[in-house]
Amino acid sequence: MKVTFPHLGSMHIFCKAIAETAGIPYIVPPETSRKTLTLGVLHSNESICLPFKIILGNFIEALQMGADTIVMVGSGPPCRLGLYDLVQRVILEEMGLHYRWLTIPPRLTWQAIWKNHEETKELRKELSAKNILLFPYGLWMGWKKMIACETLEQLAMKVRPMESEKGETQRRLKKALSWVDEAKTPRAVEEAIRKGESLLQDMKQDHSRIPFKVAIVGELYTVMDPHINRGVEQKLGELGVEVTRTSWFSTHILRTLRKNKADQASERVRFFEASKAYLGYDVGAECNVSIGEAIWRSKEGYDGVVHLMPFACMPETTASGILNKVGKDWDIPILTLILDEQEIEGRIQTLLEAFVEMLEWKRRAA
Amino acid sequence: MEEKGCLGIPRALMFYRYFPFWRTFFERLGWKVVVSDGTIRREKIVFFEDSCLPMKLLVTHAVQLREKVDHLFIPRLVSIHRTYIMCPKFRGAPDVVRLATEGKVSVIDETIDLRKGGLSLLQSFLKIGEKLGSTRQEGKKAFREAEHSFNGFQRGWVDRINQLPTRHLFEMDIPIPAQRSRQGCPEPYMVQGATSSVEVGGKEIGAPLHVALIGHPYNLFDADINKDILSLAKNLGMKILTSDLLTEKEIDQELSDLSKEIYWSSGREIVGSLFHFLSSGVDGVVFLTSFKCGIDALLQEFIKRRLKVRGGSSIPLLILSFDEHTGREGLTTRLEAFRDVMEEQKRLQIAKCKRM
Repeated sequence: MKVTFPHLGSMHIFCKAIAETAGIPYIVPPETSRKTLTLGVLHSNESICLPFKIILGNFIEALQMGADTIVMVGSGPPCRLGLYDLVQRVILEEMGLHYRWLTIPPRLTWQAIWKNHEETKELRKELSAKNILLFPYGLWMGWKKMIACETLEQLAMKVRPMESEKGETQRRLKKALSWVDEAKTPRAVEEAIRKGESLLQDMKQDHSRIPFKVAIVGELYTVMDPHINRGVEQKLGELGVEVTRTSWFSTHILRTLRKNKADQASERVRFFEASKAYLGYDVGAECNVSIGEAIWRSKEGYDGVVHLMPFACMPETTASGILNKVGKDWDIPILTLILDEQEIEGRIQTLLEAFVEMLEWKRRAA
Repeated sequence: MEEKGCLGIPRALMFYRYFPFWRTFFERLGWKVVVSDGTIRREKIVFFEDSCLPMKLLVTHAVQLREKVDHLFIPRLVSIHRTYIMCPKFRGAPDVVRLATEGKVSVIDETIDLRKGGLSLLQSFLKIGEKLGSTRQEGKKAFREAEHSFNGFQRGWVDRINQLPTRHLFEMDIPIPAQRSRQGCPEPYMVQGATSSVEVGGKEIGAPLHVALIGHPYNLFDADINKDILSLAKNLGMKILTSDLLTEKEIDQELSDLSKEIYWSSGREIVGSLFHFLSSGVDGVVFLTSFKCGIDALLQEFIKRRLKVRGGSSIPLLILSFDEHTGREGLTTRLEAFRDVMEEQKRLQIAKCKRM
């Protein structure tokens, strides 16, 4: 048995940690590249959203490398993400690739646990008692590494606009993340965080700058994965913008576990309430939160909002129409970037430069 | 009863299924129902958001109506089935229209969610009635009559499609013309169960080709979206069947072996009826989609792959995708070619039967 999972931001680091700690053989798909995307595009059609294509590409590459068990997060209605597995399974089957499929249930219900039990029946035969006993420990290690990655990434978002040498933060962040990746024990993870933090903070910084504050909102996959959004976060940071986002793995996991008491989850409720002035119903996925967050960021004195969405995304299309109006009503510049398979890195760079220039004018006028 | 005022219904989206219901309901409550004009030219489309063509047309129709009516009726269709839901765009549709019409007209956007139970439809319409100043009694009576008229309309629906020009489909006052040529020997619908090859052999070439049109109701019946494919097909001698002919059970049967349940009611209807028609005795199946329709894009891929995995189908399948740039000429060519394929297929089958 060889387990594989899709790429999503730094997800591979902690998925790997879970498998490694529990002693389950795994294959990390090659880093998302042009080839991954081409494979995904070839086997789907133009109006399917970008995450579908990239995840499909990841799976094809991993299966070709010899993986045989796919682990995929499930989701519910009304967005298309909930039916990814239905369609991807048929596509892989038609391509003649062999795989076994394991869905992580989106909600912890008895029904989901039962289904999971059925699905894993075959797989458990291949696992030793040691694997199963170590699995909870593996989950805990995974969680620790996930928090570590997020802490470092958040710090990088803070220091990036201050960097004296362009691109230095990104280089250092990569190094720090690789330390987290290599850590084998909980203590080593702690150590990696500490070392990573000081590495990022010790960088040569120019403290005379006053960075702009911009929030990134939108569909979670495009917000979280730098390969899909062509490094919007990094590009904005290097243009002198302090970026904030509320979509992190931990927020979404805590949300599905219904741990609403955590700060960030209740932040989501706050955004949701704010969106009610424009939307009378929960449209699904991140639509309401995107709108609510834009409103709140304007109240909190942010300089702008960047809204990311994949082409033809159903909930976010509604959001983009409404965000136009929100931007006017609340006097906050909102840039919507629609991402798809085309090579648009250059265009995104130009759009972001123009956006930041506009923020500069706005600041000067005020 | 004197008229209380004008109530506008945009000729878009689920208008193409529920108009008879809505119209009867509001007329019984004493409102004059105004429907926006059919044909919208491409230059007139309002691009409020970068959505699919049916959604853009909803906004366009609503903007067109805003000065002529007192209220616009755009229900928030969350679910029109007891378990399954609608596309998420329908949930935000009233809000998008409200922003696009700049608040110049009151929008009635009562939520319709049938997952809440059998009486939730009645409850929603009673609330709408109350908003419009009617009592619950009047509302209930109007609802019953609306239900009755909708069911009656639905019964004659496939005959209507085949015998009336597209622009008269929803003119409820125009009756279905009496059947002329077919009165002597009623032709059986070839969809109930698999037809034997003998039946196919008995039919001569030149008899109408039975073509199943599959898709969201607005893609099927909105001439602005599909450039009036219905009349094109009828002129080419095709008899049109739709998923309205099938019962829910027949549709569910085709979907029973999926690894995960499709949770959009329209998506289920499309996939289920498509596979049903492909395994029954129709001559061809046409799947109509709108560009950028999320549900169709995903399911289209599913349908194609599943067919291949199952070893294909002997019944020709045509997938047509529409947007505001689609032209009638290209469509005609494709339909003509499709007809030729169907006829060839039929000829082959007849030859096979004769040899046996």
